[in-house]
Amino acid sequence: MDRRNFLKTAAAISVALPNGKTKAENQNVEKEFYGVLVDTTRCIGCRSCEVACSLEHNLFVPDITKDNAFNSIRDTSEKQWTVVNCYDTAKGKVYVKKQCMHCWQPACSAACLTNAMFKTTDGPVIWRENKCMGCRYCMVSCPFDIPKFEYHEWNPKIQKCKMCYERIIDGKKPACVDACPMDALMFGSKRELLEIARYRVYSHPEKYEPKIYGEYEVGGTGWLYLSPVPFDQIGFRTDLGNTPYPEYTREFLYAVPLVLFGVPALLLGLNMLTERKNEIGKTEELNHE
Amino acid sequence: MESYTYLNIFETKGLEYLLLMCFLVLFVFLIRYLSTDKEKK
Amino acid sequence: MNNSQSIQSEIKRFLKFFFQELKPQGKWLTPFNIITIPIIIVGLIILYFRFTEGLGSVTNLSQKYPWGFWIGFDVVTGVAFAGGAYIITFVVYVMRVEKYHSIVRVTVLNGLLAYIFYAGALVLDLGKPWNIINPIIGNSFGYNSVLFLVSWHFLLYMIAEFIEFSPVIAEWAKFEKLRKILNSLTLATVIFGITLSTLHQSGLGALFLMAKPKIHPLWYTEFIPILFLVSSIFAGLSMIIFEGTISHKVFKKLIDPKHHHSFNEIIFGLAKGAAISMFVYYFFKALIFVHGKHWDLLNDFWGGWFLLEVIGLVLIPCFMFAYSVRNKSLGIIRVASILSLIGIILNRLNISVITFNWNVVDKYIPSWQEIVVTLMVISCELWVFRWIVTRMPVFEKNKNY
Repeated sequence: MDRRNFLKTAAAISVALPNGKTKAENQNVEKEFYGVLVDTTRCIGCRSCEVACSLEHNLFVPDITKDNAFNSIRDTSEKQWTVVNCYDTAKGKVYVKKQCMHCWQPACSAACLTNAMFKTTDGPVIWRENKCMGCRYCMVSCPFDIPKFEYHEWNPKIQKCKMCYERIIDGKKPACVDACPMDALMFGSKRELLEIARYRVYSHPEKYEPKIYGEYEVGGTGWLYLSPVPFDQIGFRTDLGNTPYPEYTREFLYAVPLVLFGVPALLLGLNMLTERKNEIGKTEELNHE
Repeated sequence: MESYTYLNIFETKGLEYLLLMCFLVLFVFLIRYLSTDKEKK
Repeated sequence: MNNSQSIQSEIKRFLKFFFQELKPQGKWLTPFNIITIPIIIVGLIILYFRFTEGLGSVTNLSQKYPWGFWIGFDVVTGVAFAGGAYIITFVVYVMRVEKYHSIVRVTVLNGLLAYIFYAGALVLDLGKPWNIINPIIGNSFGYNSVLFLVSWHFLLYMIAEFIEFSPVIAEWAKFEKLRKILNSLTLATVIFGITLSTLHQSGLGALFLMAKPKIHPLWYTEFIPILFLVSSIFAGLSMIIFEGTISHKVFKKLIDPKHHHSFNEIIFGLAKGAAISMFVYYFFKALIFVHGKHWDLLNDFWGGWFLLEVIGLVLIPCFMFAYSVRNKSLGIIRVASILSLIGIILNRLNISVITFNWNVVDKYIPSWQEIVVTLMVISCELWVFRWIVTRMPVFEKNKNY
């Protein structure tokens, strides 16, 4: 039995045991994050994904035949985890689905002081109600402004896409991916998805912008995008940089234990120093007397 | 970050050191200003 | 047996004494009461709606502005103003500068109350305040979060400040033995408290490090934590000057005239410290500005706003402090302290609220309810402050101390 298989069986046993921790966070099995590739050249703006998402998670189901949603640029909200927007570009109308990007190193989960925002080993970033204290620091930190807060509830929740975490655990694809009639959404590991995305860009250079959004942005995201036009024309921020956002607080958090040990020692030293000076002063006074 | 040309991230260092020296001189003046008492003069 | 009996009688005596002290002293219809009582009542009514209908019912917070006036002013600015406590305890207990000993008690009390009320205002802003115990009791430690650090530090610092202040309480309640024990803890808690202060003053700035794409580039820098720490020094010093000037008028009877005289000397010392720290802060700002190559950003409204904050409310009060120290002018010091306090308010609000998502169309403007609740928090703090200083030996020194 090689190591991988051993770990798998060990994990399976621990799942089967009554006391075994079944949560994904406790498994040490090496696995790759899942992600989704969005090919905006394939999307026709049917908004099946919006409906499927809302049905799956008991959210507000938009009336896609009547609500003329493409007249304005919409944002995800506490009632809808995903929306499709339409952009008029040089290459015609481009439809772009928006949802949580499921960053490789998410700012929201680094920001969360209760680990309520949590990057699972499968890739989805999920929110856990029983831990959250509603401080909304995840909203401040998220570079994509994705977590949404229920301002009109006495017991509010943070609402955001969780890449259908429960379905992924069951071995199914996210609801939106399943609902897409055009194969504009593709579910898989990032390694596979990047291969496919690169292949598409190489084989149809006239059709695609030579860039995969999410390959490097904010340290890499779980959701990847292909576009026919530059990404800033279809509502993406291109100024976010390639540094994972938790890195911005890294030096500060490194400094904390150093300060907690160093500063008391320094202060105590200063205190003793001033005391000694007084002593010398006193003895000199005595000598003068 | 998609720069394909040379990017000097220390472009302003010379200016920064100049600024530092100016401020150090000004700081000495400030301290002298604060530590001399007008009444004592 | 004997020992426990004596403790019991001590506690009985204390409780009787305590309830006696709870009763109001003096007149009820003072101008201060007439203003603050309605504010507190209205504030409580607003809070009732906030906890039953949600934050959105009384605040103007939105998905783009998750943090508003309660965080930006009450917590971030309030804590900067409370910075005086760690500066003064450093000067008096660590550096042993006896000149400032007479203001230690009132400064520590101010710091303690500021933390209890302003950091306490954080609870009002939480969506699920009952889960606030989660990061403390350990079922979900988010070590990776700056906010985790800040909240722990608030908690520990409040305890440290309380221990620093507790000899005064023991003196008031006439617990002689306890006072001696608590007194012996002072140096340790002072050192602990200063360390915590350096970290959470800068930590409040570090909270915004991950909001890089949202804060205006003139304000965002990786040095925000250091800027917050340095500016908390003169924020604290200006606050002591401001608050000291007022309480020396209001509580004149409580302060012995000898102290009154030395207080002017203290103010000049504090102003000197403020001038130097503001100058250093101004250099930091200039250096960061140069390093960021932000000259072209100065042309629009935000550029002017930036210059107003940095030159109008840091450099000018800095020179005013310096000028007034040399010319022994208390009047200019007072104006300078107010200007620099406004500068701190502006700086903290700029980073946390005003330039946050500066390019968004729907700007956040605090609702009147948010402002009333803030005023309520301040009023409550002043009530407790007044209650304590009129009863406990905060201003006058104990004879045997």
